Amino acid sequence: MSVPVRSITFVGGKGGVGKTTIAAALAVASADAGRRTLLVSTDPAHSTSDILESALGPEPTAVTERLDAMEIDPRREADAYIADVKARIRDVASPRMLKEVEREVDIARASPGAEEAALFDRFARIIPRAGEDWERVVFDTAPTGHTLRLLGLPEAMEGWMSGLVARRRKLRSLGRMWRNVAGAAAGERRDGSDPVLEALERRQARFRVAREIVTDPDRAGFLFVVIPERLPILETRRAVDTLGRYGIPVTGLVVNRVLPERADGAFLARRREREAEYLARIRDQLGGLPRWTVPLRDTDVVGLDALRGLLAELAP
Amino acid sequence: MSGWSTIRRKLKAAAEIYEGVAMAPYRSAIRRRYARQRDAFLLATFSEALGVPNPAEFYTLELMPYLMEELHEWHQRVGMDHPPEGGWRCC
Repeated sequence: MSVPVRSITFVGGKGGVGKTTIAAALAVASADAGRRTLLVSTDPAHSTSDILESALGPEPTAVTERLDAMEIDPRREADAYIADVKARIRDVASPRMLKEVEREVDIARASPGAEEAALFDRFARIIPRAGEDWERVVFDTAPTGHTLRLLGLPEAMEGWMSGLVARRRKLRSLGRMWRNVAGAAAGERRDGSDPVLEALERRQARFRVAREIVTDPDRAGFLFVVIPERLPILETRRAVDTLGRYGIPVTGLVVNRVLPERADGAFLARRREREAEYLARIRDQLGGLPRWTVPLRDTDVVGLDALRGLLAELAP
Repeated sequence: MSGWSTIRRKLKAAAEIYEGVAMAPYRSAIRRRYARQRDAFLLATFSEALGVPNPAEFYTLELMPYLMEELHEWHQRVGMDHPPEGGWRCC
């Protein structure tokens, strides 16, 4: 197996192309090769639990001696964050104010970006642990569009947070100036620490570290899974371009479910002719990427042994 | 006796003139700048409440417990007895 697995590997592609299976197979192979590996899934349908035949949860669970796996549920992450914010508001708000502020928080929770933001926050906390708690972390990402938005977040968020941090710093120095010239009129003096600035800087640092790691070709890479069909090829082509704009290195392409030579019958022979056109299209449109082929199988890929068998057949 | 007190009186008068001519405008300029910056920060942080999209809205929620006091200062400073309808209600 020579599929490049960096310390951070994102596995992505259009829905239904076999991302979860390929990601699990890569993680198992990495662990079998002696590397401490973490497999992270964001699929709330628990497909990774099914494939690995083990009950996974939101925290890393040992699957083999060197393989841990976890399933992050974006909804649960967002709810946990909101609960934490509400608890801290309860500490400082008057009862009258509490209801109003909690209403605002609930509106924000219902906004379309909330779960994505919560998921990204979780990613951003896992990413720096690659190379420390695990030698390798494999992310089985959500379908393409969602993942691209997620990977585009570090840049957008870092910019936004930097703006807020700069404003807050300026505000703090103006506050000092104001207290210097106004004396007693400025009211009671607050101590030097500013929890708002500290919280903003913590966020900014977390996003910056995540972006530095995912754009570093020595540390991170995005592996696409595609099947020889029209729409997955189109979508992957666009996604490769988008990742290029974000500066996220794309390490290769796994062409999944290719009809094997031994598949017989007139029906499959005709199907293979169609497939040849799509394989040509993949070479044409995605030819710049290293490519591996995984043949279609006559059985389901479930369990560690099946996953090991899958990669054994990988042909460059 | 009167020499020193005259000098002191004149120095005090000079200080008051300086205060009126130089310091007071300076002080009110600083106060205005400080107030404007506080408003700008609150706006950038809670723009979503005014219908202006904030890509980081979810992450700025955690600032709310610390900023409620500043929001209260804001609505009092801009001359509203109560915070605007539909927004916060701290008093």
